[in-house]
Amino acid sequence: MYLKHLSLTNFRNYARLERDFPERTVLVQGQNAQGKTNLLEAIYYLATTRSPIIASDRHLISWGVAAEPLPYARLVGDVERSSGAAHLEVTLVREPARPENPAGRLARHIRLNGVERRAIDLLGQLNVVLFLPQDSDLIAGAPALRRRYLDVTLCQVDPAYCRHLQRYNRVLEQRNHLLRRLRERHDDPAQLTYWDEQLARWGALISRRRQRAVSDLEAAATLIHGELTGGSERLALQYEASLALPQLEADPATPEPDQPPPALYEAALSAIARTRQRDLASGVTTVGPHRDELRFVANGVDLGLLGSRGQQRTAALALKLAEVRFMAGQTGDMPILLLDDVMSELDRARGQYLLAALAGARQVVITTTDIEVFPREFVRQTVRWQVREGTISEERS
Amino acid sequence: MSLTPGPVGRLIEELSRLPGIGPKTASRLTFYMLRAPEAQVIALADAIRGLRAGTVLCSTCFNIAEHDPCPVCADQERDRGLICVVEEPLDVLAIERTRRFRGVYHVLHGALSPVDGIGPDELKMRELVERVRSGGVREVLLATNPTMEGDATAMYLARQLAPTGIRVTRLAMGLPVGGDLEYADEVTLGEALEGRRDV
Repeated sequence: MYLKHLSLTNFRNYARLERDFPERTVLVQGQNAQGKTNLLEAIYYLATTRSPIIASDRHLISWGVAAEPLPYARLVGDVERSSGAAHLEVTLVREPARPENPAGRLARHIRLNGVERRAIDLLGQLNVVLFLPQDSDLIAGAPALRRRYLDVTLCQVDPAYCRHLQRYNRVLEQRNHLLRRLRERHDDPAQLTYWDEQLARWGALISRRRQRAVSDLEAAATLIHGELTGGSERLALQYEASLALPQLEADPATPEPDQPPPALYEAALSAIARTRQRDLASGVTTVGPHRDELRFVANGVDLGLLGSRGQQRTAALALKLAEVRFMAGQTGDMPILLLDDVMSELDRARGQYLLAALAGARQVVITTTDIEVFPREFVRQTVRWQVREGTISEERS
Repeated sequence: MSLTPGPVGRLIEELSRLPGIGPKTASRLTFYMLRAPEAQVIALADAIRGLRAGTVLCSTCFNIAEHDPCPVCADQERDRGLICVVEEPLDVLAIERTRRFRGVYHVLHGALSPVDGIGPDELKMRELVERVRSGGVREVLLATNPTMEGDATAMYLARQLAPTGIRVTRLAMGLPVGGDLEYADEVTLGEALEGRRDV
């Protein structure tokens, strides 16, 4: 797939942008703080309905319009896919302040092909893989980062996963409140039974889906990693499901897509039963996909704990390139690749490997401060844009 | 100094506490009442005052009524062996509109939701179990909402009632009449498939 046209209004530092995108590699050059990353962020937002950088959408609305009566930002994208064209539209509006919400509620309106839809309906319409300079934090950082990474990746290709995740989070919130309530005052612990069952049901579905995705990602990542390291290291991805699910194998088909196979459900339920006393004492749910871990292991060494910065970078690059293949395999469509100033983080050999890997993509958007880090041969095949203070101009070469 | 006279400001404030009414609507309503015929405004005030003074909870089913027992519980034609359990008084009205239910009701006044601090003690649950135990009941129909909280409530009640050995049923789930298959969400359609029956 590829993005044909992007239109931005009051998004970050883009007061107004109307831009056709070519079906090839675009090299976006500009000084710092001119709007290079914001451009990638906009495309990423249309794909995932969230920013890769900040938690609050509030900051996506240009502060230049903050003083206006109804500050808003609009993102519109036209996507060409093998299954046909799609018109994606997100509008963020900051409503006037009210006593209960002095900052003003942020309303989000999503339209797909001109029809008002939910955020979940937008997912999967546009698939992107984003490469960031800080990608090695995925390997070295907190487990929550890796879980979030899996969630965002899976939500892009599997709407059912996204729905299951929403359900799970709701169950988790209710169960945690109930655990605290049971700890603080006398109440009937039999209330837990329902939430335990729901936790097992949605938790088993999520952990299993992640396990499968990790196994697919691993197959591709190990191969790529082998090429990156000249075969000196063997990368393994290990998904540790705290619900103690049985080994990954062909699960029997279930009549209903929202029900885990009985063996998984039973395993999850007994894992929850085993930790019930601990959960009651601590007042939080201590098992479930929200506590799962994903480990990157090379030659038996956990790279997150003991890997060098260089090893972590290599593993992260292998993971991202594996993600491209994973998405293409899941959707039958090549995702759009977004690279935010990543060349500066990579040494020559890895940089060249990455550029060679881009050759298979339909559309790539790369930002950089310095065009000189790219080989001339590569640059010649790209379309070059210059970003300055939120406006883009084409460079002739 | 405020330009709004005290009584006006006070009414605006009270009205804007109501669900679905913001400060704008509250102001509009307030200024409308300033201009409306006095009798109309007084009738409204009386209606509001009478709302709490003139209603009671039925001591059997806990529906809101003018007298205790409520008309349904007082009706000798009603089948006392079949109790329909609902979350809110409005749900009773919805089921009554079908004219297909001849049993009696039990209003819980909410659903189990730990996030909102609602447990069994905050609902009319013990009263239901006692009512069922006291005899004469054949079936309890759990008609709580098909939400997670409604399901939690139904499941909890089903377990509480299990020792009595009385039949416990749950409302079926599926497609709305006059609806279109292609617009049904996956979950509803899935439930409809599960609950299919012979024709």
